[in-house]
Amino acid sequence: MAVGVLIALGESLSPGTYTDVRFTWLHLPAPPPGHPGAFPNGFSLVMGTLVDPLSALMLVVVTVVGFLVMLYSIEYMRKERGLPRYYAELSLFLAAMNGLVLADNLLEFFLFWELVGLCSYFLIGFHYERPAAASAAKEAFLVTRVGDVMFLLGIFLYFAVYGAKGPGLGWAASGFLFVQGNHAFLAGVPAGNPTLLTVAGIMILGGAAGKSAQFPLDVWLPDAMEGPTTVSALIHAATMVAAGVYLLAVTSVFLGFTAFDSLLIVALGGITTFFAATMAVVQPDIKRVIAYSTISQLGYMVLAVGAGFTMVGLYHLFTHAFFKALLFLAAGAVIHAVGTQDLFRMGGLRKRMPLTAAAFAIGGLALAGIPPFAGFWSKDDLLAGVYSTLGSHPAYWPFFLLAFATVFLTGYYIFRAWFLAFSGEPRDPSLHAGHEGPWEMTVPLVILSALAVVAGLFVYLPGFQALLLHGGGVAGIPPVYGTTQLLLSAVGVSLAGGGILVAWALWGSGRIVPTPSAAPAAGMRRVLLARYGIKSAYDWLGATGVYTVARAADFFDRFVIDGAVHGFERAFGDLSERMRRIQTGLVSDYASYVVGGLLVVAALLLVVAPYLVGRFGGG
Amino acid sequence: MSFAGTVGPLVPEVIVLAAALLVFLLDVAGARRRELVGAISIAALAGALLVVLADLGFLPLAALRGLPPSVLNAVPAAGSAPLYTFGSLGLVFQGLFLLAALLVATASLSRASDERGAPIYYGLLLLATLGMLLVALASDLIFLLLAIEVTSLATYVLVGYTRRDARALEAAMKFYIVGALSSTLSFFGASLLFGAYGTTNLYALRAVAGSVGYPVLALLGYGILLAGLAFKTTLVPFHAWAVDVYDGAPHEVSAFLAGGTKKIGVFALFLVFLGPVLYVKAGGGSPFSGAPFDLGPTVQLTLAVLAVVTMTVGNVLALLQAEMKRMLAYSSISQAGYMLIGIAIGTSPALAGATLQVAAHVLMKSGAFLVVAAAAAIGVGPKIVDWQGLGTRRPWLAVAFALMLLSLAGVPLTVGFVSKFVLFSAAVQARGFFVWLAVAGLLNSALSVFYYARVLKVIFFEPAPGPLPARAGDVVGAAGPTPLGAGGIGYGRAVAIGVAAVLIVAIGLYPQPILGPIQSAAAHFVAGGA
Repeated sequence: MAVGVLIALGESLSPGTYTDVRFTWLHLPAPPPGHPGAFPNGFSLVMGTLVDPLSALMLVVVTVVGFLVMLYSIEYMRKERGLPRYYAELSLFLAAMNGLVLADNLLEFFLFWELVGLCSYFLIGFHYERPAAASAAKEAFLVTRVGDVMFLLGIFLYFAVYGAKGPGLGWAASGFLFVQGNHAFLAGVPAGNPTLLTVAGIMILGGAAGKSAQFPLDVWLPDAMEGPTTVSALIHAATMVAAGVYLLAVTSVFLGFTAFDSLLIVALGGITTFFAATMAVVQPDIKRVIAYSTISQLGYMVLAVGAGFTMVGLYHLFTHAFFKALLFLAAGAVIHAVGTQDLFRMGGLRKRMPLTAAAFAIGGLALAGIPPFAGFWSKDDLLAGVYSTLGSHPAYWPFFLLAFATVFLTGYYIFRAWFLAFSGEPRDPSLHAGHEGPWEMTVPLVILSALAVVAGLFVYLPGFQALLLHGGGVAGIPPVYGTTQLLLSAVGVSLAGGGILVAWALWGSGRIVPTPSAAPAAGMRRVLLARYGIKSAYDWLGATGVYTVARAADFFDRFVIDGAVHGFERAFGDLSERMRRIQTGLVSDYASYVVGGLLVVAALLLVVAPYLVGRFGGG
Repeated sequence: MSFAGTVGPLVPEVIVLAAALLVFLLDVAGARRRELVGAISIAALAGALLVVLADLGFLPLAALRGLPPSVLNAVPAAGSAPLYTFGSLGLVFQGLFLLAALLVATASLSRASDERGAPIYYGLLLLATLGMLLVALASDLIFLLLAIEVTSLATYVLVGYTRRDARALEAAMKFYIVGALSSTLSFFGASLLFGAYGTTNLYALRAVAGSVGYPVLALLGYGILLAGLAFKTTLVPFHAWAVDVYDGAPHEVSAFLAGGTKKIGVFALFLVFLGPVLYVKAGGGSPFSGAPFDLGPTVQLTLAVLAVVTMTVGNVLALLQAEMKRMLAYSSISQAGYMLIGIAIGTSPALAGATLQVAAHVLMKSGAFLVVAAAAAIGVGPKIVDWQGLGTRRPWLAVAFALMLLSLAGVPLTVGFVSKFVLFSAAVQARGFFVWLAVAGLLNSALSVFYYARVLKVIFFEPAPGPLPARAGDVVGAAGPTPLGAGGIGYGRAVAIGVAAVLIVAIGLYPQPILGPIQSAAAHFVAGGA
């Protein structure tokens, strides 16, 4: 199915084609001559749908994964209460996500961006009666909100920079509208204020970091695992969290980033990739392992977009969506069967759930980047692409190395999870015996497994290749670098394989290895489990910093504002009581009001207004 | 001009007049069924609306087009002084008047079937609509004031047509007395203008003011005329009648008064104060110097003061009301203030904003009063607290009402937001002290959210204290009228409320198809095709 969709899309979207249906939502005309106005060229708010290579790729991901997750939900959510709410919110999410992908300007994009955030909040808090879920939902909402505000400021800044450039460059060319070739067009006009442009780019990056859980706004995603696993698979692995990367891609295609912003994006991607992976290494919770892995993989995509390989970043987004949804749904099958998320209480599930074990293994191999699984192709291209920029951008070196080292960690943590869950013997007899789910759960696993195997090879389909090569008029897949790329691939695969081997050596028996009592290792473990203290730092910031400010504000509020408000209220309440007494119900009074009003109007028109107009020159 | 040439452009007016006469004749002949006269009225109003829309270019039905293209927006030759002309903006207002009348006529089908006087009711409704249609065509002060009088006389009777309801009769009397006073003022103002300039034609007034300026007689005339028209538009302090009348009148009539007839005052202010005053450039003198001067800035300032006072007083008093209809009446007064902002600014974007605000108000306020009628039909009392639990009892009705209130408050994705956005951005675009008008409007919108939100809270979040009182026909076999369709609300009301709610959201979601024609009509108006 997906292959068919893809080939069709690939064929229809041969280089440079796109479909844009656009309509004016609201238009304010230019002011008449002699009325210098705020918008000298008029002002149009435009809405529309744009299908171009970027959105086509995202559409396939959203609809295919969305369909499979819906199917899977039938069984997974069967026993839950509040199912109408669940399906309504999930459907609203899919609609909003498609709207975001199809948006043809930044403002419309932002509208749907807020809507998917709202749905994410609803669905993380689906079990709102559990305090952990409710607070995770709130945390996700607040942290992404920081990014949202930055995003909006970024939109304003771009408008300030490009909107002031002149008639042809107002609304349309400021990147609010995703006009094909806008990037090149903007490159030809006199540059905007570079400082403002850089700040605008940083703001956009902040928005993307919030949505895609990039450092330091990454804390909400692991906690968002309180939502149902289906939600984690769809929203927090395949689609919504990728919207941040998509935003960066769209911005880089239609507006472009300054050199400083690019470096910042590369740095953010590299750092996030590595540190998220280290935190995944020690997690006892199966869903959190995958959650940290999602953050880490999103870091790869951000890295690629920052280095200028936008379509390669999206290529990794594409393959990642399938194998990460697969990992989540396989984990969901395990959780559904045994009733716990704690890896240390599982074990030996391979015999009872062979299909799930195989699916998880395929997802793991794809994630680790072992050929011929999907992740290998996209990650290989991605790293090769970043490597090719190192010559001209030596500052990218440390982040490239971090990303490269992460390949080893990835292989290790995902197979540590696999060995803990599936190999050896059951460790906790109190868990009820797990077994495979019905077809609604296994069919999505099989389809996603197939995609996790072959999705990387799509790049050899001519249509898809054209999509990646020419998408949006920016750098596509890096050219083949001959021996250099082969060498890079070989090293990468060896690193991943090494990680898997270490995982096998430590956990392959399925027996829990006692944590080494040696101080450095235990200390490291504590640091990692505490997420480098970032969350505690936020808590401290919230508890002391914000609370102190809040106390001061409260004091101000109570003694200054309340005083004023109450005084105002007393005066006002009195006034409105008195005004109410005007309404006597006696018609003779009303007639006298008319006469009184006439005198007032006459006084205004004949004396007061002429005086004021004469004095101040009028409107 | 031949007979056909004279009547041709007046097709909508002729349709409405013919229907009114037919309904009165049927009354005399004894055919008084509400369904019959209602259907005739609705058909006539819908037909007239189609013709107006075709004239505006909305419909590809050339056969319905009564208006030769050469007539639309034609500026009359100097010295010809016609009584009426055809401008796009007038046609837009005609469409809005017909829409309001159509909503009310449809909803009125659901009034109790044993109530007497249905032909009188529909006949007067059609006559009032005819007067409104003529207002929108006027290019002469006397024609304008007579057309207003046609509407006023019909509505005085409409308010009291039930004849047995003491409150409605009292309201009708108040309405009549204050209305008569205001009419007298208007005509007196017009006669002063005639004394000053020797003409009552609006085009001629514009031309002559450009050369002569404004003698004191003319200033007095305009001031008195403003007071007379302010009565119709419910500007503070000429508003006091409106609350008692909207409260006491039958609900459908309140809907018609607040959503429909009030807007003729707005359009009359357009006609009287924009062309002959705001757009006249007579000279740079001041009123005290004796040299010719521009009256425009003075009138703008006066209207701005009235706008801010009207908005604020309406909103503050709405905050205090315990009864739903009185709250809606005060909210209606405050909305008139927003429309006045557009006239005070006077630029074409501002007129477009004011016109869209009128359109929004037709939908929101007629709709809201019709919801009150529907609620009364199922036994909900007049106080706001009586509406507790409506959200669970009648979810559709409650959601429609919520949409109307949210639109009145100016929440995005409703037409009320779009109209305020266009209006306030026109104020910002005009710069100068008009920016402060936008600020005052925004603050007032914030204030108004309080009382709308309070109603929403009562409807959706406060449980009903007990079952609704049993209404006639609830007990099987009991004598009395059969319960109405659509869950006791009546199909006519359900359709009218549904149409209003859908249009509120539809225009809010995609305003440009409606806003575009209004903007071009406003541009024509400013360009001189009054």
